[in-house]
Amino acid sequence: MKSKYIFGGVIIVIFLGLMGYLFTQSNIKYENDFAVVMKKDKTVKAAGSWVKAKSYEINKENRTFSFYLEDTQGHVMKVVYDGTIPNNFESAQSVVVTGKYQDGYFHAKEILTKCPSKYEGDNVKASGV
Amino acid sequence: MVGSIVLSLALFCAVLAVIMYFLNYRGYQNTLNYARIAYHAMAILVIVAAALLWHAILSHSYEYKYVYDYSSNDLPLGHLLSTFWGGQEGSFMLWLLLSTIIGLILQSYSAKRGDLEPRVMAVFTLALTFLLVMVSPMFKNPFAYIWTEPVFVSAKHINSAFLSLPFLQNFIYSDAQSNQQFIKMNTDLYSALTTSGISVNQFIIDGKGLNPQLLNFWMQIHPPILFTGFSMSTVPFSFAMAAMMKNDYKDWVRQSFPWVLAGVGILGLGIMLGGYWAYEMLGWGGYWAWDPVENSSLIPWLIGIASVHTLLVQRKSQAKGGIGKFAKTNLILCLLTYILVLYATFLTRSGVLGDASVHSFVDPGMLVYLFLVIFIGAFFVLGFGTLIYRWKYLSDKMQEEEGLLSRELALFTAAIVLSASALIVFVGTSAPLISHAVETTFYNEMQLPIVIIIGVLNGLSLLIKWKHSKGQELLKKSVFSISASIIFTVVVAIFGGVTNLMVILMLLSTAFAFFVNLEIAIKIIRGNMKMLGAYVAHIGIAIFILGVIGSAIYSKEMDMDLVKGQPKEAFGYKMTFEGWQAIDNGKKYAFNIHMDKDGKEFHISPVMYIAEYNNSLMREPAIKVGMTKDLYISPVGYDEGNSSGQSVSLSVGQETNIDGVSIKYESFDQPDLAKMTSGGQIKMGTKLVIKKGDKSYTVEPLIEGSMGNFKYVPADVKEANLNIQIKKVDPNTQKADFVISKIVKEKEATQPKEVLSIQASIKPFISLVWIGILIMVLGFFVSVARRLKESLI
Repeated sequence: MKSKYIFGGVIIVIFLGLMGYLFTQSNIKYENDFAVVMKKDKTVKAAGSWVKAKSYEINKENRTFSFYLEDTQGHVMKVVYDGTIPNNFESAQSVVVTGKYQDGYFHAKEILTKCPSKYEGDNVKASGV
Repeated sequence: MVGSIVLSLALFCAVLAVIMYFLNYRGYQNTLNYARIAYHAMAILVIVAAALLWHAILSHSYEYKYVYDYSSNDLPLGHLLSTFWGGQEGSFMLWLLLSTIIGLILQSYSAKRGDLEPRVMAVFTLALTFLLVMVSPMFKNPFAYIWTEPVFVSAKHINSAFLSLPFLQNFIYSDAQSNQQFIKMNTDLYSALTTSGISVNQFIIDGKGLNPQLLNFWMQIHPPILFTGFSMSTVPFSFAMAAMMKNDYKDWVRQSFPWVLAGVGILGLGIMLGGYWAYEMLGWGGYWAWDPVENSSLIPWLIGIASVHTLLVQRKSQAKGGIGKFAKTNLILCLLTYILVLYATFLTRSGVLGDASVHSFVDPGMLVYLFLVIFIGAFFVLGFGTLIYRWKYLSDKMQEEEGLLSRELALFTAAIVLSASALIVFVGTSAPLISHAVETTFYNEMQLPIVIIIGVLNGLSLLIKWKHSKGQELLKKSVFSISASIIFTVVVAIFGGVTNLMVILMLLSTAFAFFVNLEIAIKIIRGNMKMLGAYVAHIGIAIFILGVIGSAIYSKEMDMDLVKGQPKEAFGYKMTFEGWQAIDNGKKYAFNIHMDKDGKEFHISPVMYIAEYNNSLMREPAIKVGMTKDLYISPVGYDEGNSSGQSVSLSVGQETNIDGVSIKYESFDQPDLAKMTSGGQIKMGTKLVIKKGDKSYTVEPLIEGSMGNFKYVPADVKEANLNIQIKKVDPNTQKADFVISKIVKEKEATQPKEVLSIQASIKPFISLVWIGILIMVLGFFVSVARRLKESLI
């Protein structure tokens, strides 16, 4: 009876240990301050808004898409994404990129665009009529 | 208004039914009839409310915010019907409707089985009460009027006859960026309209429409099936509660068993349909991405499957008298299944996953968030509180152990392994709550060994007998399966070039499970077909895992640019882009690719279009389904040919640098806007300063012509070997997109090239994924038929 519990306990400890280890290994933190993102040498998820005033580029030969992203404090960084412009990028209000900051720009492996309801938000201003 | 009243009355009836059922359980004989009347009244009211919502959608009553937000006039009937569950309010409504109907079946089921009804129905109706509160006017009411909270309604959706009304002018807003006009719909405007004798339905004549990604057949049937699975998870919870209320743990096992089986069968089907939709519609080439929304319905499913195995042991061990084995495990698993469904709802509906999921659900607000927390908390405390209260009694009733080589222990281990699998998904999916996220490798690496163990257990548990089994006997019985699976694995490894040890182990264990079940199933087919369920389900899961191995690990993909008329080869297919045509009344564009594989010819047409709904480019893949593999063509982009260079977007004053040449956007030449609207000839230009070395040149690419018939005039800078053309320019913001290409390159190809960019991939044996799950679901229902008979004994 006793040995059964010890055996079960050992299995559970091994399982939880393995899970904990893999969790820390594959763990990605949300980092919304780009000043921190630019210093870190780790894969993070960074959320910001697309700086539409700055130029963006679609490079067909290398299949990259680059643009500028700004966080809430006004830090701006260049993002280069390996792939084509995402489905609803132009109407996105906020963009979440997953990747690492290296060599002066953010290498994004993944882009997630958030499109809240179109008619909400601050961009609707009174016309003064 | 009527809808809200009906729902409020239903809530009242539900509360009444809970109280009456509870009183009946406490010994008041005469309350049972009242409870039944109250439940049926509630059911009728819920069905009426659902009918009212459908009626509002079909009659385009845009006075309801829900109808305005999720439907429009141009939706065909099928999509209008599925608008019902297109948004958050409606999906709660669907959950409520399906639960109510299941409750009707449950009521007549439990009424035939002794004193079961009051206990089971009291708990079940309590769960319904929470759902009714959710759709009540306080929270996510689908019958909320559009003006109760200010909403900006696009001027396009307003009856133009009223746009010039003087009082309306105070409510008109315009967005400088998109140059669109909006009407602020609020209570003030509502009263102004009412005074003028205009109804809101006359005023707002079109809606926003449904997200184009949901305009798909699979989206019409996936949510109802998934929510049927969610609704059915309430039943085992109710049975477990009923058992604890009576402190009798014998009958509930066989009484709840058919419900548990049917529930996991339907939930499994629902999850699969979601995966199939992603594969067919979203175009990223897969069916499962460990997305939180997918995961959150997988967790209760795994726990439900775990409970099937231990319930079977308890039922079997009851033959000796007593309550049987794993009574506590079963109570815990059945309680957890429903609590995890609620947790899934919390994760996906409370807005906590805001940044983590592609299924971006809008933040529902603090009140709903709190209510969801209370919902889970209440059922958690109710379930586990009662369990702790009965714990001592249950511990005293425990039965002695069986030998190590017993089917009981194998099934229990299976349940533990399935729970571990659920825990992995739970941890990964909950990570965003502590502002973390995990990469998908976390799931893949953790689940791999689990799949191997499941394969071994799956086969082994059926070979060993109940109670005790001898090692020698076991070996003799498994000769066929072990040799067959070794031969299978060796053949697949050699021909498929499998070298990864983990994959070989996975193949071996899955094949073992497959052959064991196949052998038994063949024996049974000659005997009693009713006993077939478990084996069919296990064969299904083995086929499914083989499909996952093939499609996930051995999928190949390739990015390609197809120039019109020029064949290119990939994966043995000769692909030729032949041009595009408009489909769906010109709303979408199909890009035709001619395929040739060893003389076999066919066409495949991925689709792209700009959706008006969210002003975005949508891409739909084209799939050539085959028995052994799918060819999956995902469109990436299309280039009309006059722009083979790079795209650059600039505002006035900005500059960019291309191959050492700097290009500055100096100024914008305003077109004559009056002419633009009257249809006359106009000209728009962008003055650019090009600097190469210490020399600079000024050029001006143009757009000229009349509305709807523009010509793009590029400018060459021969010294810098650049050709610059305007792609698009916004006269308001003066922001322009340019296409910059090399002149020399242009000259090589005299004809403009039309290029279709695609991602082509080969998905080996993906059809086994779907077939496997369908077989598994079939197995569940064969078992339901058998266990339903047993539940009456």
